[in-house]
Amino acid sequence: MKNYDQNEPLVRDIRLSAADSFYGKGCDLLKCAEGGCLCNKNRSFWQANSCQLSLSLMMASTIENAAIIIHSPVGCGVNMSTLYSNVTGGRNKRGLGQNNLVWLSTNMQKVDIINGGEKKLRELIRYTDREYRPELIFVVAACAPSIIGDDVDDIVNSEKENIAADLAAIHCPGFKSRVVASAYDSFYHALIRHLKFEPEPYIDYNPDNYANPYNGDQTALYRYNKARTVNLFNATSMNPDDENEIVRLLQALDLNVQIYTEYSSRDKLRFISEASLNISMCDVHDDYILKYLEEKYGIPYVIQGMPLGKKAIREWLLKIAGFFGKEKDAEKICDYEEKRLDEALKPFLKTIRGKRVIMGGGVVRIAEEARMLKELGMDIITIRPYHYDNEAGGVYSEVAEEFPDTPVAVSTQVFELINQLKKYKPDIVVEHAGKHGWISKCGIPSVNLFSQARPFFGYAGEYAFIKNLAFHLQNNSYAKNLSKNVRLPYHKNWYEKDPYSYIKD
Amino acid sequence: MSSCIERPRTTCSLGGALSTISALPGVIPISHTTSGCAGNLSGTTAFNSGYCGSNYCSGQSVPVSNFNESNVVFGGAGRLREELISTFELIDGKLYIVLTGCMSEIIADDVQGVVSEFQNEGKPLIYVNTPSFEGDAFEGYELVLDKIINDQLPVSSRKDKSIINVFGIVPQFDPFFRGDLGEIKRILERLGLRVNTLFTNDQTYKNLTDVPKAGLNILLSPVYGVDLLKKFEKRHGTPFITEDLPVGAIQTEAFIRHVAKALDIDSATVNRVIKEEKRDYYAYLERAADLISDSEFKYYADVVGNATGTLSYARFLRDELGFVVENSVITDFLPKKKEKILKGYLEGKDIPGNLSFETDTYQVTKLLKNAMGQPNGDFYIDLHTPRFVFGSTFEKDYAVKNALPYLAISYPVYDRTILSKGYAGFRGGLQLMEDILCVLVAGR
Ligand code: SF4
Repeated sequence: MKNYDQNEPLVRDIRLSAADSFYGKGCDLLKCAEGGCLCNKNRSFWQANSCQLSLSLMMASTIENAAIIIHSPVGCGVNMSTLYSNVTGGRNKRGLGQNNLVWLSTNMQKVDIINGGEKKLRELIRYTDREYRPELIFVVAACAPSIIGDDVDDIVNSEKENIAADLAAIHCPGFKSRVVASAYDSFYHALIRHLKFEPEPYIDYNPDNYANPYNGDQTALYRYNKARTVNLFNATSMNPDDENEIVRLLQALDLNVQIYTEYSSRDKLRFISEASLNISMCDVHDDYILKYLEEKYGIPYVIQGMPLGKKAIREWLLKIAGFFGKEKDAEKICDYEEKRLDEALKPFLKTIRGKRVIMGGGVVRIAEEARMLKELGMDIITIRPYHYDNEAGGVYSEVAEEFPDTPVAVSTQVFELINQLKKYKPDIVVEHAGKHGWISKCGIPSVNLFSQARPFFGYAGEYAFIKNLAFHLQNNSYAKNLSKNVRLPYHKNWYEKDPYSYIKD
Repeated sequence: MSSCIERPRTTCSLGGALSTISALPGVIPISHTTSGCAGNLSGTTAFNSGYCGSNYCSGQSVPVSNFNESNVVFGGAGRLREELISTFELIDGKLYIVLTGCMSEIIADDVQGVVSEFQNEGKPLIYVNTPSFEGDAFEGYELVLDKIINDQLPVSSRKDKSIINVFGIVPQFDPFFRGDLGEIKRILERLGLRVNTLFTNDQTYKNLTDVPKAGLNILLSPVYGVDLLKKFEKRHGTPFITEDLPVGAIQTEAFIRHVAKALDIDSATVNRVIKEEKRDYYAYLERAADLISDSEFKYYADVVGNATGTLSYARFLRDELGFVVENSVITDFLPKKKEKILKGYLEGKDIPGNLSFETDTYQVTKLLKNAMGQPNGDFYIDLHTPRFVFGSTFEKDYAVKNALPYLAISYPVYDRTILSKGYAGFRGGLQLMEDILCVLVAGR
């Protein structure tokens, strides 16, 4: 439990050895990661991306009745406006009420940098509690306080007594990690350190009932329910349609599903220990909290890729079913679902078959989507995971097997993507939001690897994905026209060079 | 409370500097920070400015030194040098500017040393200190222009009275910057002037280097650019006048007359231009009158925005639409010095409604609520409705909750898109009127 007792979590760069630069073949990445050469790779040219603070905010902003204090100069956390509108959309789609999220910045000034920002933070915590009456206050510590040595954890621990709200610190200074995915750990670390994970007597249940020897039925019922309750761990990249689809499949196994941690409240989080299995939907997302819950409460967990694409869904569902001795049921469900999905996909196949795709985005998702599209007959010409860490090893051993000769590049970088697009002229690109404008400027159609608009997980997700892909292969006039009339910033000779020539060992 | 801000409507100076540079043709930023700072800032300002979006070498294309933990400990000069070598290899620009952020500033990295190595090789490279803890986005705008104009551009011996520079409108943080500047330019050109706006799509790098030749600078903000233009005057000898951002026919006519006076433009031209513009303007209003008058489109109004635009919008609503403006709320986070400049400027000025300075969204909402009043159970109660809220998208929640018509006019704007549209000048006034009417008839 050592790590969990620290004020700050270790960043993935240290905890898992994570990397942001690589170019090679599908069969090389895993080797390079295991051999240790991956971590030493770097670039001699970098472009803007994101930081772990912005992803931490993304998760924290979904928590019910929370206030977020960003301890930093006023620029960090600007993306809260974007997140706020996303969360409003997410809440609406989940049928939750009004979005009460507020966020504040300590707006550190020069004097705070020189004298420390601790006093100011303390005051802002109390002010926030008084003025907004949130259930929970997250204090998010960015780069500046970390560099000048503000003791945020000490403030948070001592202020807990002075305010009505619960208080949690998220340590996520951007400069400390090369990979944005460290944010998952930062956020979970905050929940683990500062919030309660067990139901409270006389608030959540009446202990007298359970102590009553004549009330054996209730205890048995409780045990029965818990034995078939699973926790499903979501993320912002998973939308309510995804959750619904996955819940549908788990319910078909007669399981009772609780969804954590996004869109949870402080009160709901107390029931996180009331389950018999924790289920992740992404290898690089939840290991930090799942291992904790296993250590602390003895709840086993499943981390098995993403339930995306027939093959992966089957692997995923079977693994879960295994815990409940329901493999046969799971096989039956998958057989049935695959059959009706195949039938439904038929009309789209001739449009997508043989089309050349470049794919980039979250490390696990992009690999699972590549597997899915390959199986349907598409030609994957490059896979570009945004980062790599050891937790993705499972999926990338599949990649090594299924795509041994396909180029794989660990990259978030626009200049590399644009070079590839100009060189290889794919028929379509699957990418993360933020890239599509640039792809259109190269004249190529593209679709999101995830969005809030439709399901991506499960069988419904595969259908929606393929339908959307085929749709976007029709009429590329917009991108074509745009590309003819927009100038990109690169010198001509960049396009003659190898797209990944700025990666160095 | 101290300098803390709830839901800030600004960013650090790095954010403003990145926005400004993205709008300067041929200028390439290099952010000496983590890759997150530049990405978060430019991604969000592009979102918050009516989806202004990214262009040439902005947004996710901004070169960054990708400052990391070892740079914090050992310094980032080496990494910056490497990034600059690659940037010159890869990116086609006329002028390259290194910007700093909190980490490079706190550890006092030797940016100047690295930059001068490249300057010695004749590379068009400069740097601007944009520490995130000194000054906000609007300051970033001034810092960048100050460095280019008052430090780099040579003094021009030949001044041309017909060349005018327009300052004070900050890209993205004034979300209508392109449309507003375009209209101001159109009007000034009608008076026979040549205009450097720097930020409209017609501008080239030459407009930037021509700036010292101008005979007059027009500052369209009471605060942003004052220091810049004082220094400009000292260095290049070009005087400046401060004008309110003109919104609609009444204000624009006054604007034209002020400029004409400052430049001695003959009154025949001035009168002709004003007459023609007004004829066009009021021909639209003439017909719109059926809708406006029949529907009794008259409202109490709250206007929330920055120091540059708020009062101009409020006056337009009061003077041209006959709205009763109750609140003019200025939301800027102003350092002492700028606060003094603004308050000095506003002294004796015509101010519609109650003027407040408030940075926090929740407190702004309280001001608006108080002005409207609340039902208290009495049978007769003078609620100040119908009411129209003009603000940023942050005011939308309040408007929606109270079922009030609302239009986003100030940063951040993310519930509508803004391309070529502006609210300045004659055409801008018509646009604004059109958008207000659109809100009011949308439910039909
Ligand atoms: S200063 Fe640090 S925390 Fe803030 S935006 Fe930059 S990288 Fe992220």
